[in-house]
Amino acid sequence: MKNFFRKVGFGIGPNEELPSDPLAWALNQLDDVPDLTWKGRIPSGKEMIEVHGRKRRVEEKKVREKYKNDKKLLKIGFDRLDQETGVDFWPSLELSIRHTEAMDSTSPVLAKLWFFWANHFAIVEGSFRAQFYTGPYEREIIRPNLNQSFEKLVYDVTISSAMIHSLNNSDNIGPKSKSAKNKKRTINENHARELLELHTVSPASEYTQEDITQLAYVMTGWRLGWSKSAKDTMPVEFDKDYHQPGKKTVFGKTYKSGKKGLANVIKDLVNHPNCRDFIATKLCRYLITDNPTEEMKRPIIKAFKDSDGFLPEIHKAAIRVAFEYNDQYQKFQNPENWFLQMAKLADFSWPTSPTIMDLYEVGKKPQLVHKRPLFTLQGLGHFPYGSKQPNGFSDFEVDWTSPELLIRRLVYAKDFFEFTKSKNNNFKFYKNIVKKNFDNPERIIKYLEKANKHYEAQILLFNHPEFLRA
Amino acid sequence: MKINRRDFLKTTAATSLFFAGFGLPSFASQNKKNLVVIMLEGGMDGLCAVPIRGDKNFKKLRSEINLKKTLKLTSDFDLHPALENFKTLWDQNTASVFHATSIPYTGRSHFEGQDMMMSGGRVPYQENTGWLGRGMKLAGLKGNGLAMSLPMPLLIRGVPLNNNYFPINSSLPQKRLLNIIAEEFDQYSEKDLSETLSIIRNRDLNYFPGTNASTLALEAGKLLSDPNGPRVAVFKVDKFDTHAAQGGENGAHADCLKEYDQILKALKASLGSTFKDTLILTLTEFGRTVKQNGGKGTEHGYGTAVLMAGGLIKKSEVHGDWPGLKKKDLFEGRDLNSTMDARSIYASAMSTVFDLDFKRIQKDVFFGDKLENLSGKLFRA
Repeated sequence: MKNFFRKVGFGIGPNEELPSDPLAWALNQLDDVPDLTWKGRIPSGKEMIEVHGRKRRVEEKKVREKYKNDKKLLKIGFDRLDQETGVDFWPSLELSIRHTEAMDSTSPVLAKLWFFWANHFAIVEGSFRAQFYTGPYEREIIRPNLNQSFEKLVYDVTISSAMIHSLNNSDNIGPKSKSAKNKKRTINENHARELLELHTVSPASEYTQEDITQLAYVMTGWRLGWSKSAKDTMPVEFDKDYHQPGKKTVFGKTYKSGKKGLANVIKDLVNHPNCRDFIATKLCRYLITDNPTEEMKRPIIKAFKDSDGFLPEIHKAAIRVAFEYNDQYQKFQNPENWFLQMAKLADFSWPTSPTIMDLYEVGKKPQLVHKRPLFTLQGLGHFPYGSKQPNGFSDFEVDWTSPELLIRRLVYAKDFFEFTKSKNNNFKFYKNIVKKNFDNPERIIKYLEKANKHYEAQILLFNHPEFLRA
Repeated sequence: MKINRRDFLKTTAATSLFFAGFGLPSFASQNKKNLVVIMLEGGMDGLCAVPIRGDKNFKKLRSEINLKKTLKLTSDFDLHPALENFKTLWDQNTASVFHATSIPYTGRSHFEGQDMMMSGGRVPYQENTGWLGRGMKLAGLKGNGLAMSLPMPLLIRGVPLNNNYFPINSSLPQKRLLNIIAEEFDQYSEKDLSETLSIIRNRDLNYFPGTNASTLALEAGKLLSDPNGPRVAVFKVDKFDTHAAQGGENGAHADCLKEYDQILKALKASLGSTFKDTLILTLTEFGRTVKQNGGKGTEHGYGTAVLMAGGLIKKSEVHGDWPGLKKKDLFEGRDLNSTMDARSIYASAMSTVFDLDFKRIQKDVFFGDKLENLSGKLFRA
């Protein structure tokens, strides 16, 4: 049963008390969204986009023009621009904020679900906006919605500048809109398709190409604000000059032209039976097993329906199911969750402290400590803001068990011994955390006794099959 | 490197297919054939790699990034001087070019384009598997894919148990510890983890050759030349997105082409006699504008070239139906047009290397899309 603390969270740290009622412990974390635990600087999304991102965006062209004759100078010019806008620092700061919720907050279960939703509404990596804004988007758009309705979460994500940009909705222009009068312009269906396929009803709902096209029409006009001096770093707006006039029909229901159309469609999408089934499947897959059963999903679907998609109720249902099936299924943990569980149990000095992170000044070159979280997660093959596709990182075991990815776990368990505290470097410490986190401590302790040195115990423990799963 | 799992898998795959009643290509009587795909990310400029000869208009449009020195391929086409190993292979009839081709994507976004070049679909982000993965699955090639990267690229997803190689600059735990972990995996009946760990235990645990392209290619060549080793390898070369300082012989695009050329050189050396049974193809999301931009670079375009090398090349030739570079011939008045769906080349390559019926590939891998069987034209059976 003790693996439940890792299944829905990150385990019980050496200085934490073992909760007497595990289920109540988990359920109590889901009603409120407390302030972030990180004590250091937390930049606003507005600052990230309208100061740093904007500078990067606006000056990029100047650098290209200035150094067009020399590829080496061009590289130096871009490196300097990166430095001036903190590109190499922000992802590590965001990871520090994120990881502190898992390691030190009073609501690790909420943190694990926050990671789930951030991945459900993944932002494709690589664009200038993603470099600056994916972290703030997850903090400011997704996390505050964890005690709101799924409908509100979907709406806020859909009109967020992160998603509008990631799925090209600025290029989604009504062919009969005012802006298309003198210039041939048409729709881009990306965002509409993913809103159906990945965010709400899934292909199981059997939407047609015509549904996608019609939804794209509904979504025309929602775009990144633009000005000559700020480029596309202005806030998202609904610009009716780009909106396709006339009625639209999605899943057989007709929607009026205008700004409100999107909210009305989303209301219907989140109330579609396939949406409930899809969300229940994904939650079970994340927490319990690659192949969720109908029985498993049923209570979550019911909670979704009964509560009108109120996320705390959906989460509680999912946690109850995870508890019920705890002994029957052990879920292979993805690299980031595995790493955080190791960091928590072994009491690593992780992430880099707020004091050190706050020593960084924009424009200066970040020190290695300021970049370590990014390097660490990239090295593990699971940098959470680095999704290649809008479907995010996989929750299937097979996608995380290639030779190189398993090698990373072996090497990280060894190399991160450096992050342990010297007072903990004794077998007693490891025995203690095993007792707190495993139901059969004797067996695991016997296995650990094969280690000659403390760091060897660490390698063995965190690559034990029972630890790789939860 | 000994990989027991593959032997095991090949047997099981063969057995299950045998009992399923499918015909299985016989490997016993012929050499194992390999397919290597090198992804050129950022948009490779086919007009820079393989420029047209004697087109005055082209020279004018690219007055500041023209190549002053080139290698000659045919009476109509030159080769970028950075591709010297490609030229050596060309002279030996083991390299060729398909020009004015592209995947069916005209949107000019890297992210969408890279997704589609790997998925082989017509709509961005719609597929969760890659065309190469689906092709391998169709051929029953489980456990035969090798990605020279840490994440498993979409391109070879869709078939189980792919291997990857991307060494970490740190030593692995001692063998003694790996053995203890392996015993525990067995005790817990973790079959898949156990098999992967056995691959890991057979690696040189303290050997870090680096992760630059040619080093990875040397390792890949070694593995591919093993009769029981993988049959497919996937590489990535990036930074082809040269909006500025693209340059001529020594510009930013030249650096990227050189990296590709070094991979070729390393593969040729490490594949040894296996080179004759190998096909090495490039893949990119789009070509680049014909006209240079204000930054002495080029913008995202459409048509490009696919570079092909290896002993399974029929003969050195620049294939394709040249659409011309007059304004009216260009795609949307700005890009080299594509006169061949590049997926025809990839489908034909898989048909040749995996001994699969072209029509089955077309149907099961490329969604029944209209593609042309070029196997006989481009490759040796």
